[in-house]
Order: sequence, then structure tokens, then C-alpha cells
Amino acid sequence: MKQKSLTGKVGIGVAVAALLIFTLFPVYWMMKSAFDKRAGDGGSSFLPKEFSWDNFVYVLGDAGFGLYLRNSLVVAAVVVLISGFVALLASVAVARFRFKFRTTMLMMILVIQMVPLEALVIPLFLQVKSLGLLNSLLGLMVVYVALSLPFGIWMLRGFVAAVPVELEEAAYVDGASWWRMFRSVMLPLTMPGLVATSVFSFITAWNEFIFAMTILGSESDQYTVAIGLKSFFGLHSNDWGSIMAASTLITLPVMIFFVIVQRRLSSGVVAGAVKG
Amino acid sequence: MSSIQAPAPAPGAATSVAAPSGAGRGRRFITMAKARPWLLLAPALVILGGLMIWPLIRVVIISLQNYGLREINTGKSNFNGVDNYVEAFSSPTLWTVVLPNTVGFAIVSVLGTVAFGTLVALLLARLGTTWRTIVSSAIMVAWAMPAVTGTYVWTWVFDADKGLVNSLLQGAGIIDGPVNWFTNRWSFYGIVLLNVIHHGFPFIAITILAGLLGVSKEMLEAAELDGANAWTRFWRITFPTLKPVFSVVVILSTIWDFKVFAQVYLMPGGAGSNREVLNLGVWSYIESFGQNRYGFGSALAVLLTLVLMAITAVYIRTLFKEDQL
Repeated sequence: MKQKSLTGKVGIGVAVAALLIFTLFPVYWMMKSAFDKRAGDGGSSFLPKEFSWDNFVYVLGDAGFGLYLRNSLVVAAVVVLISGFVALLASVAVARFRFKFRTTMLMMILVIQMVPLEALVIPLFLQVKSLGLLNSLLGLMVVYVALSLPFGIWMLRGFVAAVPVELEEAAYVDGASWWRMFRSVMLPLTMPGLVATSVFSFITAWNEFIFAMTILGSESDQYTVAIGLKSFFGLHSNDWGSIMAASTLITLPVMIFFVIVQRRLSSGVVAGAVKG
Repeated sequence: MSSIQAPAPAPGAATSVAAPSGAGRGRRFITMAKARPWLLLAPALVILGGLMIWPLIRVVIISLQNYGLREINTGKSNFNGVDNYVEAFSSPTLWTVVLPNTVGFAIVSVLGTVAFGTLVALLLARLGTTWRTIVSSAIMVAWAMPAVTGTYVWTWVFDADKGLVNSLLQGAGIIDGPVNWFTNRWSFYGIVLLNVIHHGFPFIAITILAGLLGVSKEMLEAAELDGANAWTRFWRITFPTLKPVFSVVVILSTIWDFKVFAQVYLMPGGAGSNREVLNLGVWSYIESFGQNRYGFGSALAVLLTLVLMAITAVYIRTLFKEDQL
């Protein structure tokens, strides 16, 4: 056994403390300002000067941020369902079958993932416009499904490949059809992957900014949360208490998701299935 | 629209596969087995083809035109050859402002993020289970912060009138009056760098930690017994083992850091009013949607895409070398 020296332990403790402060500071500062009735006064106080829920009440009430939250939830839910399903089908194809152009397909998916949104925003804006979907959430959903697909396929591919072929064959031996095998073997075993992929598509749809800004334009009752924040910025002064309260509302669901996924991903579902 | 309806055919097709009739089963099985991957891929291909590949082709077509409001409304094309590219390459803005802000920033932020992420991973690897869970949960929190809200928080922290940094520095007597950190190009990108590192290091730390846990403990202990210090052990054992992981995180962060958009666009002056802080993506966007010069904006977008494609090519070669496909 290795003995750790006292100075080593202290060094690690200091490093951990510094890392935690750096990592959590922006979140802390955001929430501190959100709960501070006089956040707009600024200053360097590390606790709220006057603790209150007023910023949240204003943001969700008069400022109408609740509508933006609802819009974002609807968009994210539709995107998660459609892109998860389409990505799973495609990932089974690339992970389980050897067919012509398979490598080309994989390459294409990888390359598409790297395309900058700034390059897609001009032609997609024109495309959405000609479909008459400008200023509507539907136009945004269509774009987000496409944006979250390549990563979804790429990620699920690994999960599908990790399902032992023996389990698949066992299902066939038991007389299952391909579709039955897909439902009863593939789907449950790739569930952790689907959960992770769904979280990523959710986050893509929830956080996306450039397309929401371009496609929704000035139609403020269709705004998603990411651009809804803009309404708190004044020409000369910004309402920082409200901005931080709304930011907290946007950030919390994403954070909860991330922490959940971290737990889910680490559990080895497949290993359990094989051991039976 | 097509993408919403697209998923429908695949399950139907798969169900029909599920019930092969007795006669001629063998032959049908072979054809279905050949068709199945394509049936499974069909919905994804329709969506990606219509909403990713065709737009990519179209942005190149638009970049060869003088495309403005008139062309959008009439739908007519107005080709002007490579004029937009000539204008971009002969513009001093590209060479003195945009390229340094894009390429220089990407290099500095990739180095910063990877170095910091690696240090954090090494630290995590030395912690016990409890502390590792606590610290990695905190790291997840930083990762989860959306780019938009993260940018607003940093903007608030550095705010000229009421921000934390100015009041701390004024309180300590380091500066006399409030400083506007957003007007100067260097301090502007310093804040972007802080934002990008804070948001980007968690992915790298978690990925490298996963790799670190796979490094042979016996080798490390043997090296320690032989008198190798931590620095030597890292460069002689850990780094060579983790080289594939490093090349993947370096390339992925390069790609991400080249296309920072919201982090610049949402900061004061970042949306075009301060031309000193433009990067390639923001420039393309404001030329298109601010000036209605969609042709010129597309040309800039094509340039950004080409740079990223070159990096992607390296990425794919690395992946193929690892034989992960």
C-alpha cells in the first residue's frame, strides 16, 4: 500500500477546493443575483442583499417567461421523441449490418456533425421561409431534429454494438422475428443509450440560440427560453435580477438532467444481462 | 414537414419482414436482409439529406451570387462568380480582425481547455470515491450550464457599471473608476476564453479520466519503484497510453472552439457594433441577416466550413487509425 504524505493530502485538498469554487462560481453568482431583490444595484456582496422570490414572481408573471418555458418544453419533447426513434433505427443499421456504403454513411454522419451552424443558418432560413414555417415553432422543431440526429446516431451506434450478438441469436433461436427481437432485446438493452441520447437532444433543443433567433424573428409569443432572455435587456440598463432569475429557470432542468445521466451511464446494464 | 412524417415507413417495413411466408422463404430472406439496413436508414437519410446536405450545397450556390432581399423575394438567382470570395480575401477586416479572432482564439482556448481538463482528470484520479463523486457532480453542473445563460452570467460578472469584478478591483484600489471590459479586444476575448474554458473543460476531464482509469497500475507502480517522478510517469506511461484519447479531445475541442457564436454574439458589442471583436461566424451572420448580403455572408460561411472540414478530415483519420469504426 502506498502512503500519502501530509503535504500531498493538503495540496490535493487545496486543489479540490479551488476547483470547486471555479466550477460552481457562475452558478452560485447566477442564483445569488436571482434571489436578490436589489441585484441591480451591483456590488461585491457574496450574499443576497435582500433575499426574496420577487425576481422569479416577476419573470414568470408579468414578464411572461412561463410561455417561453412552455414553448421550449414542447419543442424539446417533440425533438427528443422523433430524433431518438430515427437515430435508433439508423444506428442499428450501421452497427449490426455490413452493407455497401456503410463506411461512407458513417463518414457522412461524422462530417455533418462538424458543419458549423452558421453555414446552415442561411440556407435553412430560406428553406423554412419558402415552406411558410417562418415565425413558427414547427419550423424550429424540424431543424432541431436534423441537428440532433448525427450525434444521436453516432452515440447509439456504440450502445447497439455493445449488445452481445449472442443475445440477439438466442432470441432468434427462441423463434422471435427480427422486429420482436428489436423490441424485446435491442430496445431494453440500449435504453441507457437512448436516455443519454435523449438528454443530448433535449439540451440541443433547449439551449439552441442561433436558429431560434433567426427563425422566430420578432414573433415573441413563439419565443423559446434562449431568446426569451433578450426581453430583459434594456437599451441603456439591463434588469440583471430578472435576467439571472430567468437564467436560473433555464439552467436548472439541464443540470438535473446531467447529474441523472451521469449516474445512469455508469451502470453496466449489458453486463448484468449476460450474467443473467 | 417531410422529416416529421419520415419515420413512418420504417417500422411498417420492418414488421413485414417479421412474417416471412413459408414458400420461397430463403430467397426473400436474402433480399430482405439486404434491404433492411436501408429501410432502417431511410428516415435518417431523408432528414439529413433534406436539412443538412442540401442546405450545405445551397450555401455554396448562394455564395456564388449577389444574393439580397430582392433575390429572396423573387426567388431568382443572380450569379456573380467568385466576387464574394475576392471581396472576402481582399478585405482588411478578414486579415487583421476576423482571422486572428477566430484562429488565434481557437488555438489558445484549445490549449487552455485541454491542459486544464487534463489537470482536473489527474486530480480526480487521485481522489477517493466520495470526493470523486462530489467533484464530478460539480463538473457536470459547469458542463450543463447552457452557453446562453453562461455568457450572460460572465457578462454580469464583468459588467461595466455594476459588475462584481469592477467593484472588487475598485474596492481593492487597483482601478480608480469602472472599466468597460467589453470595448477592448483583448479583454473581450479574455472573458470569452474564461467562458469557453469553464464550459469546455468538463468534457475533457471526464473523457480523460475514463482513459486514466484504464492505465496499467502495475506499470505506474513499477516506474515509481524505479524512481520515476510524477512528471516522468505522466509523459512516459500515462500520455502514450492515452494518446488516442488526447487526439480525439484535441480535435473535437478545436472544432467546437472554431465555431463559438453565442459566446461572442451575446456579449456587449459582440453582435457587430464593435467590429474589433468579430469572428468568422459572427461576421457571416451579421453580413447576412444584418446587412441582407446573403451572398457575401454565405461565402464567409463556406470559408468557415472548409476550415472545419480540414480539421474533421484529420479527426476521421485518427479515428480510423484507432479502428473504432
